[in-house]
Amino acid sequence: MINDFDFLQARSLTEALDILSANSDVLAIAGGTNVMVNMKRAPLETECLLDLSKLDELKTISEENNCIRLGAGVTFSHLLNWKPGGVIEDLMQPMCRAFAGPLIRNLATVGGNVCDASAAADLTPVLVALDASVELQSASDGIRTLNLVDFLQGVRKTARRKDELLTAITFSRPDADDCCFYYKLGKRKADAISIVSLAMIVKLEKDKVASSRISLGAVAPVAIRATTAEKILQGAILNDETIRACTEAAISDSSPIDDFRAGGDYRRQMVGVLVEKGLNAINNA
Amino acid sequence: MNTKTLNFSLNGLAESIEVTPRTRLLDALRSNLQLTGTKEGCGTGDCGSCTVLLDGNAVNSCMVAALQVEGCEVTTIEGVGKPGNLHPVQQAMVQEGGIQCGFCTPGMVMSLKSLFDEQTNPDEETVRVAISSNLCRCTGYTKIIEAARALGAGEVNADKAINKNGALGSRMTRIDAEQKVTGRAVYAEDVQLPRMIYGVVLRSPHAHAKILSIDTSEAEQIAGVKAIVSARDTEMDYFGYELQDYRVFAVDKVRFRGEPVAAVAATTIDIARHAASKIRIDYEELPAVFDPEEAMTDDAPLVHDDCSAYALDWETERSGNLCYRLEIDDGDIEKGFAEADEIIEAEYETPEAHPGSIEPHSSTAMPDANGRITVWTTTQKPFAFRSFLAKALKRPVSTFKVIPTQIGGGFGGKLFPCLEPYAVLLAERADRPVQMTLTREEEMYGTLLRHPAKVKLKTGVKKDGTLVAHSVRMLFNTGAFGLYGPNTAALASLMATGPYRIPNVSITGLVTYTNNVPCGSVRCPGGPQMAFAVEAHIDKIARTINMDPLALRLKNAWEDGDYTCSGQKLESVSMKECLQKAANAIDWDKPRQLGEGKGIAANWWVSGTWGTQSLIESNEDGTFRLITGTVDMGPGGLNSSVLQLAAQGLGVPVDSITLVQGDTDSMPWDHGTGGSRMTFTIGKSAFEAAEDIKQQLLEEAARDLEASVNDLELVKDRVQVQGDPDSHVLLSKLCYQRHKKHGGPMVGVSSVLDDPTPTTKKHPVGGFPAASFCAHAVELSVDDSTGEIDLKRYAAVHDVGNAINPTGCEGQIEGGVAMGLGMALMEEIREDKGRVMNPGFADYLLLTAEDMPPTQTILVEQPAVEGPFGIKGVGEPPTAPPTGAVANALVDALDLDVTRLPLTPEEVSARIRIRQS
Ligand SMILES: Cc1cc2nc3c(=O)[nH]c(=O)nc-3n(C[C@H](O)[C@H](O)[C@H](O)COP(=O)(O)OP(=O)(O)OC[C@H]3O[C@@H](n4cnc5c(N)ncnc54)[C@H](O)[C@@H]3O)c2cc1C
Ligand code: FES
Ligand code: FES
Repeated sequence: MINDFDFLQARSLTEALDILSANSDVLAIAGGTNVMVNMKRAPLETECLLDLSKLDELKTISEENNCIRLGAGVTFSHLLNWKPGGVIEDLMQPMCRAFAGPLIRNLATVGGNVCDASAAADLTPVLVALDASVELQSASDGIRTLNLVDFLQGVRKTARRKDELLTAITFSRPDADDCCFYYKLGKRKADAISIVSLAMIVKLEKDKVASSRISLGAVAPVAIRATTAEKILQGAILNDETIRACTEAAISDSSPIDDFRAGGDYRRQMVGVLVEKGLNAINNA
Repeated sequence: MNTKTLNFSLNGLAESIEVTPRTRLLDALRSNLQLTGTKEGCGTGDCGSCTVLLDGNAVNSCMVAALQVEGCEVTTIEGVGKPGNLHPVQQAMVQEGGIQCGFCTPGMVMSLKSLFDEQTNPDEETVRVAISSNLCRCTGYTKIIEAARALGAGEVNADKAINKNGALGSRMTRIDAEQKVTGRAVYAEDVQLPRMIYGVVLRSPHAHAKILSIDTSEAEQIAGVKAIVSARDTEMDYFGYELQDYRVFAVDKVRFRGEPVAAVAATTIDIARHAASKIRIDYEELPAVFDPEEAMTDDAPLVHDDCSAYALDWETERSGNLCYRLEIDDGDIEKGFAEADEIIEAEYETPEAHPGSIEPHSSTAMPDANGRITVWTTTQKPFAFRSFLAKALKRPVSTFKVIPTQIGGGFGGKLFPCLEPYAVLLAERADRPVQMTLTREEEMYGTLLRHPAKVKLKTGVKKDGTLVAHSVRMLFNTGAFGLYGPNTAALASLMATGPYRIPNVSITGLVTYTNNVPCGSVRCPGGPQMAFAVEAHIDKIARTINMDPLALRLKNAWEDGDYTCSGQKLESVSMKECLQKAANAIDWDKPRQLGEGKGIAANWWVSGTWGTQSLIESNEDGTFRLITGTVDMGPGGLNSSVLQLAAQGLGVPVDSITLVQGDTDSMPWDHGTGGSRMTFTIGKSAFEAAEDIKQQLLEEAARDLEASVNDLELVKDRVQVQGDPDSHVLLSKLCYQRHKKHGGPMVGVSSVLDDPTPTTKKHPVGGFPAASFCAHAVELSVDDSTGEIDLKRYAAVHDVGNAINPTGCEGQIEGGVAMGLGMALMEEIREDKGRVMNPGFADYLLLTAEDMPPTQTILVEQPAVEGPFGIKGVGEPPTAPPTGAVANALVDALDLDVTRLPLTPEEVSARIRIRQS
């Protein structure tokens, strides 16, 4: 028979967590921009939808002691209008502008993007570059914090337990003189799915790279750190030779699939091209 | 399913309704509350036609579960403005002509309203971003962006928004603008009938397979299922246009993935889908063929056992998987090549594309007690659909009454019935109304697509640029059925030389069957394919002989008295003027920056096909009714320029003529809309019918005024003696007298005949009246590291003969440019062994408002020799040149070999690598 499911709207985080711990088969819905698409394509396999959209406590952005906290329910429109300055703004703004279109941005939440764990998700590379963590909360165990790279386990697979909600994403504010670069490569100017996306933060001391975080989207099951590439940069002078070596390393760090959206070869090449673009931009800034 | 009460505020009023957890906000509005102004183009968040305001923010109502809006404020198009009392955003859209088919319009208005609620004068970039979630297939966004600009600049006012001046050449507002901009226009899926149930088609999961058995017993047991039909219990015959090779259900074997095998109706769409999944069909898979070249080899699997057995109106050689073959020769090709200084050869390839109407197909059928069936549907051809149904289901034509609804875009995609037969069969079986709507996914493989083409060109040229020989091999992959294959090849052959004079020509056209999704007749069939091949080739020739591509075109462009390949003598040829104007518009001669390029492409097309008949009847108060059996699929010709021509013929103000929209029972027969025939053919007959009734009015008045007809003139609402306005009689009096005496109206009639245009050669489609000419030019920049193309500016020059309604002409051109640019840059149906890999607007990409370049539209008005008024058709041609223009600009920028579309970053990048190696 056609599956029948229930719908519950949580009025508080506590209520939401109680519902999750009392029922084993609950699907959270926040902005709905993944859930509703899935429901259109095939019957939803769940006993209950739990609506998080009324949880105002998840919709705030705050900063304390240089630590930023994005509530899971913050929408991409909210994020686009947020002006934190510095590297955060320089990464978040172009990412948000390239994220879907304005209608979806008004609904889609940061928590949904992270929990949906799509390979082509656009927020996660930025968060990985910011070395973000996620806050998971359950009625039984309270809050636990996981590094985002540990949370993302594979395509549509996360470390979230069924009774947990993702409540926030946290990361430290990078230093004011850190450099950064963001690029999303898609097939059209608005509302395009990423072929490759890149977020990088580079700390330069004099003319040497003190540290860097390079994150790539859509070229592996989850957003990854290009660790070999980062190692090459460590302590190096940003010259053509370093850039070339780093580019090669980033390509080998990636493991893109070949599909109708783009060939694996092209994606790999573009990893190189974007990393090179980024390092050149940082070098010339 | 369990229902729950939802309380929210809708357009300022409290609402309380019962919905299920599955109900989307969109369904709650459309079904529960019967507010059908909010549209569903995709259901997956990709098109924006369902846009509403949720607590003031524009969102997709298909992405929101109804129960999520508990306690929220929702504003829909119905809450924004009403006819007669439009919101400023709506006034702006009407004033600037931002409305065509109207299907995207409510969503567009909501997005713009939300923008203008926050800012009073947004810049162009902000406007483009604000509407970038709202896809429009008709307008190319240009006039919508202009509407926002005008509103921001304070140039919109309620009095001026609607232009009622119906003079020829006036930018008269189309008469359906207000109902569309307010969401009041009724489209096929908006039809709601008592006791209506919902149907779905069950489609083949295989590209090629034998049907061993069909077992519907389990599905029949499901509560709510009211009817199931398949080939087993349906009387069927082959049907189609020139070629009749299609049946409603697959019999014995399926030939493509998506072919209908059964249909189910149930009380809800979910039950119908569930039941369809419980129909057990045993298949035995057969070897399949997907590549058109491979299909022509001897050992290829046969898609049809004997394709030559199908009825085809044209003579051809058919066998194996060869559906159609066409040969046209002119001059002496060998001699031509012998005279050439250079011979340039290349093969070009264009992908399968989708018409891309935002409105999906939807049909509703209702049987009556007399055995007749009424069908509401979104169709470009109500009368042809009646005949199709009759032929397909072996019934008399009189069985069916087809009521055309508003059409949310056609583009050739609504020329062939893809739901109507199933709705009819299910409605009969269930004995109640059945509505069927394709999902966006089914749209992508359950309807007819644009033919993918491979075009081999070999051209001989002299050093001075004179083209002397041109051999063409066109190969069209028509998929599993050849419905429009022959016609596409025939039309394409007319474009095979481009608009150029070449004395020695040899053209071969091949159409092959494969196990792909079948193709149809999409806007300008064959045009974009040939414009890409020929125009890219012309540039290649120019590079080879080191000549400016514009100069090469100007040297060979047709002039008055030149002949097409079918031997039609051309008149009123404006090709050179179009080319020169397009080039000037993008400063052709100014040098390019690094990474920038300019490209130009020319094309020609035919105007108007088939005859038609129009009637104009008097009303008893001296107003009139224009009656034509055709429909407007969005361009607006019927809703503006045809009326303007009728008013011109009569001499009355345009608003004293009502356009009668009816059904196949009440309207005169007509071929329907397509082939750029609306203003050219229908407009002409409306004008002549108007002249006819005017003559009768003058004669009636002559008796009344005791004057000679020759001394009388019709002025607005009266007939008067020339030079003596005091001696007059009002039309209202004349008509009233006439109605009273004859017991009926005065009727003006006109038939425009389908007289063949003379040609010197035998050709399946021969010649067409009023050839039209166009040239497009584009300036772009390209990132040679990623392959991303950025269009800087675009110019489209079209000779429309006489712009009866310039706004309408420009709208056609801008929309056609967007469609052509889509094919140039991103549109492509990707099939993998017959499975469409990108069935939806998330991966089948149409241009968004951010992608559409600033576009200058230039109208040339060199009147056609065929009267009246020298009109040339403009509906289809703008779709063709963008493919060539963009390819050429890219080559200009990077010196590449471009032979394939679309020019995605990946394709461009691949071409750059080929050049580098
Ligand atoms: C037209 C369109 C365009 C898009 N474009 C982009 C794009 O450019 N880039 C991109 O990255 N994505 C894009 N997406 C995907 C989608 O919008 C994003 O992934 C979005 O961030 C999902 O957020 P949501 O709130 O809508 O998620 P929902 O659909 O509500 O939820 C998504 C998943 O996360 C779970 N979930 C949500 N919140 C929580 C929580 N707090 N705790 C635990 N689980 C939770 C849900 O159970 C569900 O499994 C697009 C989608 C559409 C329809
Ligand atoms: S119907 Fe909602 S976005 Fe297309
Ligand atoms: S008017 Fe926009 S889709 Fe037709």
